Amino acid sequence: MNTIETVCIIDDDPIFVYGAKRMIKEAGFCEEISVYENGSDALLGLKALDKNGQALPSVIFLDLNMPIMNGWDFLADFITLPAFDPEKTLIYVISSSVDPRDLIRIKDTKVISNYILKPLTAEDLENILSTEVQ
Amino acid sequence: MIKIPDKLETLSTNFLIKDSPAAVSIVDTKMRFISHSEVWLKTFNIKDDDIEGKSFYDILPNTPPELRQIHAKALKGEPDSSNGTKFVSEEGHIRWLKWKINPWKNVHGSIGGLIMVMEDITEEKRKEELLIKAKSVARIGGWECDLVTNTIYWTDMTKQIHEVDMDFVPTLESGINFYKPGEHREKITQLVSEGISEGKPWDAELQIITAKGRELWVRAKGETEIVNGKCLRLYGTFQDIDEKKKVELKYQELSDRMAIATNASEIGIWDYDLVNNNLVWDDHMYRIYGVDKTAFTGVVEAWESCVHPEDKDRCNEELEMALRGDKEFKTEFRVLWPGEEVRYIRAESVVKRDEYGNPVRMIGTNWDITKEKLAEKKLKDLLDISSEQNKSLLNFAHIVSHNLRSHSSNLSMLSGFLSKEQDEDEKHHLLSMLEDATESLNETVKHLNEVVKLKTGASEKLKPVNLYNTLKTVEKNLGLMLKDQEANCIIDVAEDIFVKAIPAYLDSIFLNLFTNSLKYRSEERPLVLEIRSKMQEERVEVSFKDNGLGIDLQRHGNQIFGMYKTFHKHPDAKGIGLFITKNQVESMNGKIRVSSEVGVGTTFLLEFESTKTNQNEYH
Repeated sequence: MNTIETVCIIDDDPIFVYGAKRMIKEAGFCEEISVYENGSDALLGLKALDKNGQALPSVIFLDLNMPIMNGWDFLADFITLPAFDPEKTLIYVISSSVDPRDLIRIKDTKVISNYILKPLTAEDLENILSTEVQ
Repeated sequence: MIKIPDKLETLSTNFLIKDSPAAVSIVDTKMRFISHSEVWLKTFNIKDDDIEGKSFYDILPNTPPELRQIHAKALKGEPDSSNGTKFVSEEGHIRWLKWKINPWKNVHGSIGGLIMVMEDITEEKRKEELLIKAKSVARIGGWECDLVTNTIYWTDMTKQIHEVDMDFVPTLESGINFYKPGEHREKITQLVSEGISEGKPWDAELQIITAKGRELWVRAKGETEIVNGKCLRLYGTFQDIDEKKKVELKYQELSDRMAIATNASEIGIWDYDLVNNNLVWDDHMYRIYGVDKTAFTGVVEAWESCVHPEDKDRCNEELEMALRGDKEFKTEFRVLWPGEEVRYIRAESVVKRDEYGNPVRMIGTNWDITKEKLAEKKLKDLLDISSEQNKSLLNFAHIVSHNLRSHSSNLSMLSGFLSKEQDEDEKHHLLSMLEDATESLNETVKHLNEVVKLKTGASEKLKPVNLYNTLKTVEKNLGLMLKDQEANCIIDVAEDIFVKAIPAYLDSIFLNLFTNSLKYRSEERPLVLEIRSKMQEERVEVSFKDNGLGIDLQRHGNQIFGMYKTFHKHPDAKGIGLFITKNQVESMNGKIRVSSEVGVGTTFLLEFESTKTNQNEYH
């Protein structure tokens, strides 16, 4: 099985983060996992990464409803980073939202690869991995 | 035949003729004037006052040929007379003459000339002709009843109106029997008998049934001639007024119907004579405007004093537009009834113009549409509320589904791990997380329950609540925390302001605002709170200002009152407070807005319905 270098989880729910990390590890999905509690922290962290000459994560799992800065606001800022390359960083939205307004917006946002409705499962991770390989 | 001496120049004869009151002239066999009366000259408008010896035809060249022939015949001994003969000249002039022409004989017994008495009756004849024509045009006939001989005379027109043959011979009884049986015949019988017994004249509009069976309206006028207290003669006119009467009746019917309609529908009618600047209202108008007719000297004054000041200019403008012909006058406006009651009026009107297109008259209707207006407004309010509620319900449904789903997915994930977990330590860890997740779920359900509770029928339970006391109580309850932070609290609110509120909500709203200010205070300066109030008609505006961290409204403006939105890193930030606050404010028909600047502070502007008294129950 192929693996992905780095995965970044942006979610304010510690239980979800625990579960996601554990499943990623069990699936042998990647080497390195970074976690941010909200959009604002993530933006700061990823910018710092870029500054240090490190590569942006290959996959980002992004939650929508977060305090301080939500997923949408994060995306708006993140895609303007010079280092951002939609070919190299795949963004997956992982949320509990079934609000049609969110679903439409996800569909209309090109940089979002796919939407995963919580809970995250091992199959979801396998699917992502197979897309990555192609 | 008159015998006159040969020479008529005797003074006495001449004198006699000269002063005769008739137009008399004497001529000889050659038609030369021998003598004439002064009246003759006047009658034939002869300027020459010395015509003796001059020829009749020279003086009167317009003598018609027919008359010349008569003269010639008379000179041969045939006298002639006429009571009125019409002559039409070649130029078409009509002349009526009346005459008596006799030859006179001289002492020798032969004809010496003519004595003529003539009269120009053109003027009288013209009047008579006109009268006859007028009578026929107006269809006025005459009648006469001689009570002594008991004979009745009808003129031709009277017969025509009755549609009888010209040789019809009426009697008093048959005349009366032409009247329509019932009230008409009874009325004429009464009038005629009163005329005979008391000499009272009459003038009545009644219906007859003609010989051909047609019903006809006539005007019957009667006069009486009384001699020695006894009525000898009745006479009068008889006029066909059927057309006029029918139009009149039709008009009466229409206006009666109109009156019934306007009475029933309470429509007021006004009529504005622009030429004489005179406005007339019917009684309904005064009722619609809620004013007493006698309280005003003029209608314009009444209108001016009733129309809502905010609508007056617009109405006048629309009136001007209608007069210019730009737009029809169809509008709505408000009037103020005595006691400040506002009524809604619908108005429509038409402009009448003269031949040059200038407006001369405006006629319009007004009617009260207050009931409809209020119903419409209520409906719109309901619609607004229900669409607002629908929107917030939908939002709520998504929030509920989102929150419950995130907990349930956590629970299922954790229990999945737990079932496979062998490591005891990790099992322990998972169990404590499971506990947290359950607790979160519980918390969420509690929040949702609070939200649901505040949605239902709050506006009926509003009571007057003293604003100042509420603020003071909340301040006291938070006293320790405020003291800890050395917060300065300025409450500048009049002590007699009462707002329509649910006391628990008002407490909760201010408690939340106070705690928010404490929670998100700036570490760089001591907290200062300023709470001020402002009365605005039936509303109270409360500003709640702090000098805390502030919120980036550019970024979060549309989310600040949303559920589960937090904008600061704070352990207690749950994102539920302002959501509930907003819903509590709105459930009491209030409003809440926010202005803020990052690093300077935040001001919440609240608006409540005010109430003047502190009565215990508010309805």
